[in-house]
This record gives sequence, structure tokens and C-alpha cells, in this order.
Amino acid sequence: MDPLVAAASVLAAALGIGISTIGPALAQGNAAGKAVEGIARQPEAEGKIRGTLLLCLAFMESLTIYGLVIALVLLFANPFA
Amino acid sequence: MELIDISAQPSLASKQANQAEPDISQLSGSMAEYYRLKQGLVMSSLVIAGLLFGPLWWSYSLKVALSYLLGALSGIVYLRLLAKNVEQLGTENPQVGKNQLGVFIGLIIVATQWHQLSVLPIFLGFLTYKVGIIVYVVWTTILPPSTPQG
Repeated sequence: MDPLVAAASVLAAALGIGISTIGPALAQGNAAGKAVEGIARQPEAEGKIRGTLLLCLAFMESLTIYGLVIALVLLFANPFA
Repeated sequence: MELIDISAQPSLASKQANQAEPDISQLSGSMAEYYRLKQGLVMSSLVIAGLLFGPLWWSYSLKVALSYLLGALSGIVYLRLLAKNVEQLGTENPQVGKNQLGVFIGLIIVATQWHQLSVLPIFLGFLTYKVGIIVYVVWTTILPPSTPQG
């Protein structure tokens, strides 16, 4: 592999995974915090709150996964190599 | 405003967090709804993966279909780990982490290094759990599950 392409791929992978996790990380922290707050206020609705949180986290974390896919493909199956 | 000492009354989730797999039929209260949701999501993802395996084998090849199935099963494992994390959130024994992403990272690394597997079917198979979530939510919106009596 061309050293320039290799270096650019590693840099792109690092930037890709780093930037793509910022938004989901903030959103997941916010959602989990609010859910725990909600459970503390209404313990009788614990199951419903946890269920909604599970659905929200599953969709939020997929944004991280998209970035992760790009980074891993650049590192292990680079189409420009 | 009256303050209640909730530490003296540990929640049902914290009691059940130590158990491996609670029996839904014996549970009552709000956490039963959560375990039902978790089981429903896993089942709907499994059914969708099973339904798509045949057409993929017929349309493409067994290699593509097996890659898809591997991705779908990994997605279900990921969903179960995520559900376990959500279950333990805010309990006395918090072990919240990002272990579920390790499943995906390992899967993609194996897919890219082992030439018998294809990356794209594995990735699309992994996303089957999202289709399962959408199908389950639409299904339960149209036909709400009946709550067990007694």
C-alpha cells in the first residue's frame, strides 16, 4: 500500500470514529440520565421507561456503528489500497 | 415536598439484575413489560433473519446467506447485551459499559480478514435488529399485547 494512502486512511479512520461518537455519546448520556431521573420520580413506571430507553439507545448507538464501519473498513479492507 | 428513602426499598430490577434470565410469566409489575419487550425484540429479529435467509440463498449464494445470518445473530447478541446494560442502569450493581460494541468490532474484523465472508451482507445482517425493532413496535402499536390477568 502507498504510504501516503495508508497514513491518510489511518487519519481518516481516527477522525471518523472520533467525530461520529461525539453526538451519540452526548445523546446517550442525556437520555440515560433523564431515564434514571424518571425512574426515581416514578418507580412504578420503571419497565416502561427502561423499554423506551432501550429502543432509543438501540437507534442512537447505530450512529456510532456507522462511523465504526467506515473506520474498520478503512483500516482492514481499504478500497484504495 | 416529601422525600422517600428509596434505598431502603430496592427496585425489582436491582433484585433481578443478579439473575441470569428471569421468567416473564412469574413476573408482575412494570418490569415484566420490559422483559416482554426484550424477548419480543429478540424474537422478531430472529424471525426476520430466518425469513430472509432463504430468499438470500436463492437470490445470491449460500455464502452470502450464511454471512447475513452470522451478522443477524451477532446483531441479536448485541441487542441482548444492550438490553442487559439498560437493565442494570441505575441499580445497586451498575456494570454499564460498551461491551456490546466489541461484538460488532470483532465481527467486522473477522469479516474483513477471513475471505470466506462478505462484509456487506454481514453489516446488513447486523442491522436486522433495527428492522426487528421497527416491526415489533408497529406490531404492538396495531395489536397491543394482552396483559396477563391475576
